[in-house]
Amino acid sequence: MATDTLKSTTGADGAPGGLRRVLLDNGALTALIVLVVALSALSGDFLTADNLLNIGVQAAVTAILAFGVTFVIVSAGIDLSVGSVAALSSTVLAWSATSAGVPVVLAVVLAVATGIACGLVNGFLIAYGKLPPFIATLAMLSVARGLSLVVSQGSPIALPGSVSHLGDTLGGWLPVPVLVMVLMGLITAFVLGRTYIGRSMYAIGGNEEAARLSGLRVKKLKLVIYALSGLFAAVAGIVLAARLSSAQPQAAQGYELDAIAAVVIGGASLAGGTGKASGTLVGALILAVLRNGLNLLSVSAFWQQVVIGVVIALAVLLDTVRRKAGATPAAAGTSPGGRGRQAATYGLAAVVTVAVVAATSLLHTGSASTKPKMGLSLSTLNNPFFVQIRAGAQAEAKRLGIDLTVTDAQNDASQQANQLQNFTSSSLGAIIVNPVDSDAAGPSVRAADTARIPVIAVDRGVNKATADALVASDNVAGGELAARTLGDRLGGKGRIVILQGQAGTSAARERAAGFAQGLKSFPGIQVVAQQPADFDRTKGLDVMSNLLQAHPDVQGVIAANDEMALGAVKALGSKAGRSVQVVGFDGTPDGLTAVRNGSLYASVAQQPTQLGRIAVDNALRAAQHKKVASTVKVPVKVVTKSNVAGFSG
Amino acid sequence: MSNPDELLRIEGIRKTFPGVVALDSVDFDLRRGEVHVLLGENGAGKSTLIKMLSGAFTPDSGRILAGGQEVRIQGAQDAERLGIATIYQEFNLVPDLTVAENIFLGRQPRRFGVIDRKRMEAEAAVLLERVGVRVSPRARVRELGIARLQMVEIAKALSLDARVLIMDEPTAVLTSEEVEKLFSIVRTLREDGVGVVFITHHLEEIAALGDRVTVVRDGRSVGQVPASTPEEELVRLMVGRSIEQQYPRERAETGPALLTVEGLTRDGVFHDVSFEVRAGEVVGVAGLVGAGRTEVVRAVFGADPYDRGTVTVDGTGVRRHDVGAAMAAGIGLVPEDRKGQGLVLDASVEENLGLVTLRSATRAGLVDLKGQHTAAERIARQLGVRMAGLGQHVRTLSGGNQQKVVIGKWLLADTRVLILDEPTRGIDVGAKVEIYRLVNELTAAGAAVLMISSDLPEVLGMSDRVLVMAQGRIAGELPAGEATQDAVMALAVGAPGAPSDPSPSPTSPTSQTGTEASRGH
Repeated sequence: MATDTLKSTTGADGAPGGLRRVLLDNGALTALIVLVVALSALSGDFLTADNLLNIGVQAAVTAILAFGVTFVIVSAGIDLSVGSVAALSSTVLAWSATSAGVPVVLAVVLAVATGIACGLVNGFLIAYGKLPPFIATLAMLSVARGLSLVVSQGSPIALPGSVSHLGDTLGGWLPVPVLVMVLMGLITAFVLGRTYIGRSMYAIGGNEEAARLSGLRVKKLKLVIYALSGLFAAVAGIVLAARLSSAQPQAAQGYELDAIAAVVIGGASLAGGTGKASGTLVGALILAVLRNGLNLLSVSAFWQQVVIGVVIALAVLLDTVRRKAGATPAAAGTSPGGRGRQAATYGLAAVVTVAVVAATSLLHTGSASTKPKMGLSLSTLNNPFFVQIRAGAQAEAKRLGIDLTVTDAQNDASQQANQLQNFTSSSLGAIIVNPVDSDAAGPSVRAADTARIPVIAVDRGVNKATADALVASDNVAGGELAARTLGDRLGGKGRIVILQGQAGTSAARERAAGFAQGLKSFPGIQVVAQQPADFDRTKGLDVMSNLLQAHPDVQGVIAANDEMALGAVKALGSKAGRSVQVVGFDGTPDGLTAVRNGSLYASVAQQPTQLGRIAVDNALRAAQHKKVASTVKVPVKVVTKSNVAGFSG
Repeated sequence: MSNPDELLRIEGIRKTFPGVVALDSVDFDLRRGEVHVLLGENGAGKSTLIKMLSGAFTPDSGRILAGGQEVRIQGAQDAERLGIATIYQEFNLVPDLTVAENIFLGRQPRRFGVIDRKRMEAEAAVLLERVGVRVSPRARVRELGIARLQMVEIAKALSLDARVLIMDEPTAVLTSEEVEKLFSIVRTLREDGVGVVFITHHLEEIAALGDRVTVVRDGRSVGQVPASTPEEELVRLMVGRSIEQQYPRERAETGPALLTVEGLTRDGVFHDVSFEVRAGEVVGVAGLVGAGRTEVVRAVFGADPYDRGTVTVDGTGVRRHDVGAAMAAGIGLVPEDRKGQGLVLDASVEENLGLVTLRSATRAGLVDLKGQHTAAERIARQLGVRMAGLGQHVRTLSGGNQQKVVIGKWLLADTRVLILDEPTRGIDVGAKVEIYRLVNELTAAGAAVLMISSDLPEVLGMSDRVLVMAQGRIAGELPAGEATQDAVMALAVGAPGAPSDPSPSPTSPTSQTGTEASRGH
């Protein structure tokens, strides 16, 4: 560890004067270099051409969004809508190219036009409606996300092949997203540095009133600035969808914050007037390098978020300290003040290095050993069900002596693609994937197939690629069971509501199909409302409370998972289990407790720890080139008060 | 050497910033019960000096003694402990808190952890009484005009038991009777034994208020003289040479009317304003602060709308509320708030100079950066902007040089009608004269200049004709020959006397109470 620190400092010291100046003048670049040095010392897989290209691909979407946001931030505005606009543009592209049958070229034009239109609306509200940029773009964040769900009807749309090529490589090695990122970066630098609109952004951001009184047409310029941001968001959306071969209505959630972070890390001020394309690129790369490195080092999914937050703060701190010491003009190196400043910069750089190195070595559990290595990419760890899959997998891995790395995709298909790419490039024995979206996982799994790494899918399948095995409960059958259980309990008649899962996920679709199937045999049961509550307990509570206002007389509730069911139980209060029967799905510990105390009538229990265990078993068999069954169905069963005692996930 | 009356002594202070020596071997001292004026051109180092005392900067070398003991002032807390309070030109008040809350900000009297409002307001009332300002402790600071804000700042300083009060150009934004009021408060403080460091550019104020004067030039203290020193001598010390003529107006040949304004009205703000400015002519606009002068010129320039009336340049009408149209017609505006409206402070000299011509220098969306650079270089040399280079941020320029940049950007755009709103506010004598010379050059070249100024000698010295505004109307027009201070003031306060009747005394107007400058209009 000590040698790593030494290496980075001596590296900077020995650099020629020009390079030293560049580093001193650009805190973010220093931070990036420190990170790269530290990570390549810690992980042998980091500094390879393949992995560096991976980082480029993984940075591309954030970087392109951030370039657009740079325009806005330089002119002292903010754009929170870019993530949603990217998702909307990509769904417009996929929808028009498939469902509407528009030629692909025209579909791309339509997608870009969508982004520009969203930007123009933002600009109009801000310049002419005098809305604060924060509010106008926050509104657009919601509107664009909603529209993308409307256009796609909540499901991901597979892209036509010709667009998917945008996510491929050029000449077999140069990924197109990297190329697009570089191109958009150059355009950004050109716009900011050379064009009328670019120079105006700095003037407006520096002093809007002075710009207006100098004859700049501030309102019209703002329209163009936000339209540019929308245009860049559209391009990012197209790249994102191309990479996943599918347009996801829920894609790029929270990316606006990553983009803003990248711009600020890159040295721009939220107060406006400063910012450069190169800085923004460095900012986006820092975020991508961190995520990639932490994956490679098998840092726990939870700690990764902590480390990323700390590094963002340190990177900006490094820059602020440097600035506070004063911009370094030519003579600074010779004066005593200049030396102090350099010392401060190096000192802080050293602190960052030590922090990163210490944190990662402390947190990374994987050690160099002869144990077989495997990776598990979970769609989310926000939900006890998946936490239990992880527990089962980890227990089994420990028993079998497997070194298992677990990552959390936070329900973001493109983050999952990044994680799978990182697994593939660190040549693991096998990969277990719990897809965020079955279509979107396709390209990454194909890449693993090409690298001859066996892939086991768990809980959800992978489309358009070969997974060696699918370990899953049967969602449709489970949905049917849930409906039958409630139907029997209500004696074949009554009024019920259904709480659906997150629109766009396969589990939500399949379970809903199962519910419908099961209810067919109960013509006396009337479904008075079906609303999505996103698999979330709080939303389940809110949606159920709202539905109770409209339908106070419901007798039954079917929820597509236990979390929403428990939210509904909360909303029902003392009615739950007495006048209203609630049936959940998954059989999570909380859910089973509720079944035990009677507030939840039944839960269709999956056995998530079994899912995890069986997935690891099959992964090991596949890694040892033994034969595995293509589908392993883990049975589901209805748990009620009568049999809950003997049940354990 | 240790004089019991000595509050502060500064010996051989030196302070450098990257590439600049701001202060070098500066000596200064302050006694109990005196007003010590700090005099010097902008950029001479006065602000740096007082920031050493308030703890904003620490000196590289030299000593600061308080009451005979060497001290280190590392921050605002240290200054507060030593009883040093500073009132900057930009006030440190929170607009949405009350007067009492601002006075005791961070030190509010508390009872059981809850702010004791009653006691706080009572104590604030005593302090306000002492500075002689009639304002409720419960009033919100946002609602106060500049003069009252200043009084609140002074009350705040008193609440800290300040023995040393530093005032950075307190009179720059005040009307003459407000200045009188301020002076009487400062005199009371002096009698109470407070030492006052007073910075001003108005030489006549030195004799009226000061006891001693320390002159700072180019970062050095060049002399300490009694306040009774003649003004010419003070100017000579300050600029290092004598300025023969303070207002070097050279009348150019006047041509046809370039700017014609007829019946301009914005309901409730200004009414039926008509005037014309000929080519080669300087028309001064005098009046009290709040008479509507700034509002009229902003409307002429298209920055704000108006309800009725017309603006014509060279016979062609200019569209209402359209800065672009006004600029196309050849009108330029140097706004009164130089930092807030005239400059992009964190951009370079070059970028600021190129702001107005940015559009015309653009071909197919691309800015002719090389052309912009050449033009900026030429105009900066022509105006004698003192800077480290075209890349220097204008924030770090002195006030006079900043103003030259604002004027420079309009010169680059071939402006034919230049409106100057308080062009020399807060600018030192040397830079003032340079700006007057620029005005001469402009009019000699056939441009028309409309100049608003609250500095009466300046209006009288530089204008060919003087318009006087009062309460949103043109109260009268005086040719240069007939314009005297008395005549202008008589019109400005709306006294019945005509310009030919110089009887009303401008120093004791009764109708003037309450015509206080509102903040940042």
